[in-house]
Amino acid sequence: MRDKKKGLRFLIYFSPLVLFAVSLYLGTYRIPLPDLAKTLLSPLVPAWKAGLPEGYASIVFGVRLPRIILALAVGSALSVSGAALQALFKNPLVNEYILGLSSGAGFGASLSLVFLGPAFPPQISAFLFAVVAVLLVLSISAKSESPIVSLLLTGVIVSAFFTALLSLVEFFASPYSLQALFNWLMGNLARPGWSDLAVSLPFVLGGVAVLVLLRWRLNVLSLSDEEARSLGVDLRKEKFLVIALATLITAAATAVAGIIGWIGLIVPHLVRMMAGADNRRVVPLSAALGASFLLLADDIARSLASFEVPVGIFTSIIGIPLFILLLRKSSQAWS
Amino acid sequence: MSIRVQGLVFSRRNFTLRIPALVFEEARLTAIVGPNGAGKTTLLRCLGGLLPVPRNTLFLGDRDLAAIPAGERARRMAFVPQEQASAFNYAVREFILMGRTPYVSLFSLPSPADAARAEEALAFVGLAGHGDRPCQQMSSGERRLVLIARALAQDTDILVLDEPTTFLDPKHESDVLDLARRLVDDRGKTVLVTLHNLDMAVRYADALVCLKNGTVAAHGRPAEILTEDLLLAMYEIPMRILRHEGRTFIVR
Repeated sequence: MRDKKKGLRFLIYFSPLVLFAVSLYLGTYRIPLPDLAKTLLSPLVPAWKAGLPEGYASIVFGVRLPRIILALAVGSALSVSGAALQALFKNPLVNEYILGLSSGAGFGASLSLVFLGPAFPPQISAFLFAVVAVLLVLSISAKSESPIVSLLLTGVIVSAFFTALLSLVEFFASPYSLQALFNWLMGNLARPGWSDLAVSLPFVLGGVAVLVLLRWRLNVLSLSDEEARSLGVDLRKEKFLVIALATLITAAATAVAGIIGWIGLIVPHLVRMMAGADNRRVVPLSAALGASFLLLADDIARSLASFEVPVGIFTSIIGIPLFILLLRKSSQAWS
Repeated sequence: MSIRVQGLVFSRRNFTLRIPALVFEEARLTAIVGPNGAGKTTLLRCLGGLLPVPRNTLFLGDRDLAAIPAGERARRMAFVPQEQASAFNYAVREFILMGRTPYVSLFSLPSPADAARAEEALAFVGLAGHGDRPCQQMSSGERRLVLIARALAQDTDILVLDEPTTFLDPKHESDVLDLARRLVDDRGKTVLVTLHNLDMAVRYADALVCLKNGTVAAHGRPAEILTEDLLLAMYEIPMRILRHEGRTFIVR
């Protein structure tokens, strides 16, 4: 039993590597495996560059590699922030978007795309409004007696408010900017390039790394506030730290990739079903499984049809049935 | 380490706890009894540092509790809540390990020594070998023991238990109180416990604190202070104290 679980954990940690290799190979333009390997190593061995067709390098380095790295980073960011927030709010149904993050980001992006035009990067405005929405939710719910319930309620209400504002902007938008906006709202990993990655990757990696370091503390924070306090935890400081990190990585991920739903809820749940509730395992496993999950979803989204399907749709279409299946199968062992 | 209360006035909504002077002695089991709403839990939470206590009213040894940082307080005093209701189903071993929080810095993991300490606490409460079981599979009696084990893993001189026997059957009630007794006798801990069952309080406690309307109605050795008049004043119903074969029974 224990060996089987250990094997499963190893498999999860290993899966991003395997998928990385497979994803580099996948694509409408088939690059033979030896050439692919040579292209990938050509920056190290310049001699190999000469024998390869010119397009290979730009396909591998210009198109596939940034997309794969983005999928891995965004998938792990959403999953890790989901796991951390679930522990912090003592509720396995919380996800990063319950804090109003996605609707804030959606409104921010729409504002930018519609009024500043598609040439101006919508990421900046998306990130700003994601943070604004979270701050709004936290400041409204902070004064309440039962913070968790009021937080969830405030999250729903603030989300609804920003969604209404988003509809208002859509109402005034031209069909052309509306197209760009829809594409962004559904989550798309094809658009961002190295420059987008360079901006958001440091935030994502830094935030994920710090949350991984905090993983055992998340166990303690998942106890009732009273218990955590009696164990000597400085709740105000540590809660703020976790929320700030989770918001930072989710906002940074959402700003470049658009709204990709459900990963932050599904992945930590899958991990808990397989490895138990201890966040010492849940957080790093969520990072690995989340990375694989989104990369797999993106692989399917881009190889299923001759045109691009936004990956946000796929994470929901694959994720939710998978989640229901596992929930039914393991509900006894799990709850 | 003894706990001293001096001029404590703590108001919350329409309730005021007022204790001019009270000492909980070192390495003794003190039971706090009294009717619902008398202030038992409020007193316990003030002591446990869960409610913001005013300065110069509560002292651990000779140090002002309000001036002790939270982390240090948690190394001196452990609070055992009534029920553990986590949304996450931790294994017993993982749960008890959380008692080591005051010894583990923010960004690090508990060490093997911490794990050994948790394991030892698990054995002390009689649950050795149950470490891998999920907490939610434990019976409510076992869960109380797990909570006490976590407090024991916290390695404090003082343990504060909030109604540890409520909703337990007689066997588990005895188990929990035997355990509290052993903490005092074998480990020299100072144990404070709120109880409703007066028979058990008389039988297990070294000292009794009787609360009524936020004030101390009586304080001392159970055999010396318990009278039928005191019980009538406290609970407002007549009760009788019967002594039989060296034991004391309180009946309605």
